[in-house]
Amino acid sequence: MRIGQVIGRTVMSVQDPSFKGGRFLLVSPLDASQFSQACSAKMPVTAQSTVVVYDNIGAGEGDVIGFSEGAEATAPFPSPIAIDALCIAIFDRIDYTPFSEKNEFNSPN
Amino acid sequence: MLIARIVGNAIATHCHSSLSGKKLLLCQQLGDGDAEIGAPFVAIDLFGAGLHERVLVSTDGLGARHLVDDDTSPIRMFVQGIIDEAEEIPA
Repeated sequence: MRIGQVIGRTVMSVQDPSFKGGRFLLVSPLDASQFSQACSAKMPVTAQSTVVVYDNIGAGEGDVIGFSEGAEATAPFPSPIAIDALCIAIFDRIDYTPFSEKNEFNSPN
Repeated sequence: MLIARIVGNAIATHCHSSLSGKKLLLCQQLGDGDAEIGAPFVAIDLFGAGLHERVLVSTDGLGARHLVDDDTSPIRMFVQGIIDEAEEIPA
């Protein structure tokens, strides 16, 4: 599951009928340097390519979401659906302590 | 399977039903010589891996669905084991 920030939505009048009722979010995947202030500040768009993610749990703009890619994105749907990225979590908090900031308090070894 | 290091955790109250109640750990993929590759991703963990421990992460969706025994689960990455020692044999 990759992590990204919702930066917009797409609206399509002509689309595959299996998408009926779905929302498509524009998500910019986060870089490692942005994880320390992930859920607290609005972050600039990263250089990674923006992903269009199908969403049925109601993520809004500015939310930090986790999205699953590949065949697993179609697993929750009863009928076949042509998507390859699905929003599966809206993060309230992300605690990030990279290995470079290791000290004797936060890590046993 | 990837070798990764746990670099944090994530809390999501609003998520897919198969994810609720599972620990979501931030993992940073490690290359040779523990070089960090790419951005951290989230994997679910049932074995209680600690912070900065090196783990084996599987990216097999079928195994993940079997692990949470929910066929409609969109999870793909899960912690398969905690690495005690990894030895690289130079080619």
